[in-house]
Amino acid sequence: MVNRSDFKRINDYVFEVPKSYREDMRVPARFYADDSLLAGALDDKSLEQLVNTATLPGIVGYALAMPDIHQGYGFPIGGVIATALPDGIISPGGVGYDINCGVRLLGTHLDVDDIAAHLDDLASALQRNCPSGVGRGGKIRLSSADLDQVLEDGAQWALRQRYATTNDLEHTEEGGRIAGADARKVSARARERGRDQIGTLGAGNHFIEVDVVDEVFDERAADRMGLAPGRVVAQIHCGSRGFGHQVCSDYVKRFHQSVRQYGIQLPDRELVCAPLSSPEGQDYLAAMRAAANYAFCNRQVLTHLIRRSFEEVLAGGVDNHYVYQIYDIAHNMAKIEEHEVDGRRMEVCVHRKGATRAFGPDAPGLPSSYRDIGQPVLVPGSMGTASWVLVGTHGSMRQTFGSTCHGAGRTMSRRQAKREVRGSDLRRDLEAGGIRVRAGSMGGLAEEAPIAYKDVDRVIEVVHNAGIARKVARIVPIAVVKG
Amino acid sequence: MDANVTPPRPPGVPALAEFTVVEHTADWALQVRGRDFRHLLLSAAWGMNSLLVADLSMIGPVDERYLEVEAFDRESMLVEWLSELAYLAERDRFIACEFTLESVSPEWLQARLRGDIVPALQKHIKAVTYHNLDVILTPDGLAATIVFDV
Repeated sequence: MVNRSDFKRINDYVFEVPKSYREDMRVPARFYADDSLLAGALDDKSLEQLVNTATLPGIVGYALAMPDIHQGYGFPIGGVIATALPDGIISPGGVGYDINCGVRLLGTHLDVDDIAAHLDDLASALQRNCPSGVGRGGKIRLSSADLDQVLEDGAQWALRQRYATTNDLEHTEEGGRIAGADARKVSARARERGRDQIGTLGAGNHFIEVDVVDEVFDERAADRMGLAPGRVVAQIHCGSRGFGHQVCSDYVKRFHQSVRQYGIQLPDRELVCAPLSSPEGQDYLAAMRAAANYAFCNRQVLTHLIRRSFEEVLAGGVDNHYVYQIYDIAHNMAKIEEHEVDGRRMEVCVHRKGATRAFGPDAPGLPSSYRDIGQPVLVPGSMGTASWVLVGTHGSMRQTFGSTCHGAGRTMSRRQAKREVRGSDLRRDLEAGGIRVRAGSMGGLAEEAPIAYKDVDRVIEVVHNAGIARKVARIVPIAVVKG
Repeated sequence: MDANVTPPRPPGVPALAEFTVVEHTADWALQVRGRDFRHLLLSAAWGMNSLLVADLSMIGPVDERYLEVEAFDRESMLVEWLSELAYLAERDRFIACEFTLESVSPEWLQARLRGDIVPALQKHIKAVTYHNLDVILTPDGLAATIVFDV
């Protein structure tokens, strides 16, 4: 186990485990945290998992962990690594089973007082219109040809079906379509699982929230996104559903052969990987991109259903209830990007598992409306607590391959949370605090209780002060819909 | 893992199933035990069922499924076997209460399942992982700890 004494303090918010800690480390490991978050992370195996990722072939710079790190399987949640092209590895475990799990933030021109009288109805409409729950299918059953288009065109398919606007796509990472996806690289089982889950939320920690802007920290950036104190916004947190889970499972199985074939030594089988240049590495990249497109499309169709819910409840009673898109980000993804490593520009494969891309101003790929302020970064907190809107910085480009945190980060097991909190009590407490709750399962609600998570405000202080993102606005929930 | 927990045996789980739910910060984990590999697979199946459904005593053998599973070692067979059962649960909400393992090896398994469609699952298992997965020899047979992505 990694101990406090194994860490060298680099500055107030960066701690490092040197390469000498373990013989098989190829690079040092760096953890963004304050003293308290570091102490907390030593309680589970997350930092040992971080060190394990520092052993992967082709890794460059540092194995990185964000302050919301927690124990995962193979890679820690909150981990970032970059591997050099062409022969560095790509690892399905470095992306996770929920490929392109991500967050979308939607804006409105409404103030909280405008919808106060309609909030119960709005929460119910969102629950009714946005299918959620374990394995639940939606109202769209894709033909095989349509599924191919979803996998290769992402949210552009939704645009053609009138589930999207061009503004939505412009304000989505990669324009809602990551190039290089290949529908032929996914299994029949994955296709079957994906056929009827477009436009569905799922279960676990996925949610739809209606929030209100609580405080603004950067007026220029907030104004650009239409955020002001009292303004109503909405968030979606979900991913590629059973389709992505199957793609990951298929390639984890296949990569066990690759590890043997290429003689790769691993400290944990869940880190299985293959060289990016290998046929199986290229196949996984194409399949993962297909799953990423599926997730972009899924959140886009959910956006359509959210718009329908606002329309159903507010039309005729509240003016100007149009819901527009602020941004959509992925936090489980591997992407080919150009970064500076040891003073040299190079192409790398950045694995972000429970970490958000946070490109600074003028970075390639940003929509024109955000080019001078940096990429919006959306960080949901635990249920019932604050979420944050940040922007990427030049610091994140220099320090963390353009990455930052993705959430609060768990500190307590789901089982422990269920022992300590009754779902019905939690719901009552949230409702007493003015938050409407619509949940499919009280047990599932209890697992996501705020006491099971770190304080998101503390996580944000670290990334802000370390310079790997900048605070724009803090938002708080007024309605939560969970599967 | 934080700590092992020994809860009372969930309703409907037969005495032959040997498993313990293990605490894990983000996900769920089971320690499973068996006299031999066949027994280990059964313990694992019952353990996962207990995560998916609170009261397994309500499930009767009214519906049937047949499975063939291919793998390359004991660990991968454990993952593939549970993945197939999780898939049936997600797709059909089918939970087995009788397992007839007709052929068992680390590379190949045939199983006849009898069970029922449940109204709802209490948990969504996204995937069965290989995280630190090792089927180990113990004085009583075999044991393994399986982490589920939920």
